[in-house]
Amino acid sequence: MRTQEGVVRILDTDTGWDEVTALEDTQRAVLNVLDDFGTEKARLESTQQAVLNILDDLNAEKSKLEEASALLKGEIEERRKAAAQLEAVNKELEAFSYSVSHDLRAPLRAIDGFSLALLEDYTGQLDAQGQDFLHRVRAGVQKMGQLIDDMLQLSRLTRGEIHIAPVNLSAVAREIIEEQRRNDPTRRVEFLCADGLGASGDGRLLRAALSNLLNNAWKFTGKQSETRIEFGTTATEDGPAFFIRDNGAGFDMAYAHKLFGAFQRLHRAEEFPGTGIGLAIVHRIIHRHGGRVWAEGAVGKGAVFYFTLPTSATIREETS
Amino acid sequence: MKDDRVILLVEDNPDDEALTLRALKKHNIANGVVVVRDGAQALDYLFRTGAWAGRDPTERPAVVLLDLRLPKVDGLEVLRRLRSDDRTRVIPVVVLTSSKEESDLSQSYALHANSYIRKPVDFAQFAEAVRQLGLYWLVLNEPPPYS
Ligand SMILES: Nc1ncnc2c1ncn2[C@@H]1O[C@H](COP(=O)(O)OP(=O)(O)OP(=O)(O)O)[C@@H](O)[C@H]1O
Ligand SMILES: [Mg+2]
Repeated sequence: MRTQEGVVRILDTDTGWDEVTALEDTQRAVLNVLDDFGTEKARLESTQQAVLNILDDLNAEKSKLEEASALLKGEIEERRKAAAQLEAVNKELEAFSYSVSHDLRAPLRAIDGFSLALLEDYTGQLDAQGQDFLHRVRAGVQKMGQLIDDMLQLSRLTRGEIHIAPVNLSAVAREIIEEQRRNDPTRRVEFLCADGLGASGDGRLLRAALSNLLNNAWKFTGKQSETRIEFGTTATEDGPAFFIRDNGAGFDMAYAHKLFGAFQRLHRAEEFPGTGIGLAIVHRIIHRHGGRVWAEGAVGKGAVFYFTLPTSATIREETS
Repeated sequence: MKDDRVILLVEDNPDDEALTLRALKKHNIANGVVVVRDGAQALDYLFRTGAWAGRDPTERPAVVLLDLRLPKVDGLEVLRRLRSDDRTRVIPVVVLTSSKEESDLSQSYALHANSYIRKPVDFAQFAEAVRQLGLYWLVLNEPPPYS
């Protein structure tokens, strides 16, 4: 109000041009400022827009993330369920084999126990043949008991966790052969073992596999005058493989596909004793490690068993 | 000096029972044998409840031969109850089992079973268990080694 009055007063009074010009200048300056404000405002608005866009993008990102995390959660839940199911199945198997080992043995115990009671308490009333029959009954029972134990061992191998660690296969093989030498000191066996063969795997299982292969080599060379067993690696069509070679009885390649089945044997028990579980165990162990096992042989010309382990490695040994 | 304390045999399988009694008899075990056929009966006998409520309280078993696989209350549970009661805590328990399952063995020892023998009860194993438990003069009717 007062400014307006001032301006009117200035116009009323006979003001000079100078003053008018100054006034115009001021006005222009004000307009300029206003102009500047306009651009500033537009810039602010576009900034604001940009911020809003970013927020939008962020929102989109966030919902994408939420989707992904929901998916992950679902997957984790599914895995958890699968693991729980696996555990339940394992528990069931555990209970099953427990009951097999108890319940299948109970009737065997009765057969064996009462056969023994007959042999001991009624010897006078049984002639030699009667006694022989009872001895055969008891031998059958022992055999059945052994089969039950073998089956249980095999089923245990497919369960249970695998503990992966570096394993010095050369050292393990030497220990197994040393043990054989102690158990069977009359045999003269030449053992050629490559140094520093190793793999990462479950030590207990790999030892069981090697021990079955080497014990077979030891057993099926039993009728040889000079025994030679070899452990090493060689190049095969499947890449590098471990092998165990012997110069024993060998086998007919026509039946090679049967070797690794449970209770499958290519030799009669009178020739070479055994139940036929060893190679089935080897097969499961190597497969659980992601490897392959196969055999070559000829009757009277010895046998070679090959296996691969995907994680084989050379181990540097401190002493050889 | 002969004790008239009994041997408590907890066994549900009649064949195993007959074979165990035969093994004991064959070796002139003079102690009486009380046979119960499940875990619940075993607890009744030991704690004088149920069918055994009227049992003479001075009659304490010299040793319990305990099968693990029993109807109703299993052997490990019987063992647990025995070991958690002052009246029965010190009674020697020999676990009988038909399996090679390691879990049986370790659980039995965790519950302080005194000994562990595999069925059928072979006398040599039984004698060894009795010897370990220091019940030699009590249960085995054999002349002392140095006399
Ligand atoms: N080194 C070998 N030389 C010749 N034949 C072999 C050799 N290894 C295995 N076989 C054949 O394969 C069969 C199966 O072997 P496996 O190890 O499974 O059983 P086993 O040795 O007869 O009995 P077990 O290992 O259960 O004591 C043997 O019975 C034998 O006929
Ligand atoms: Mg074998």
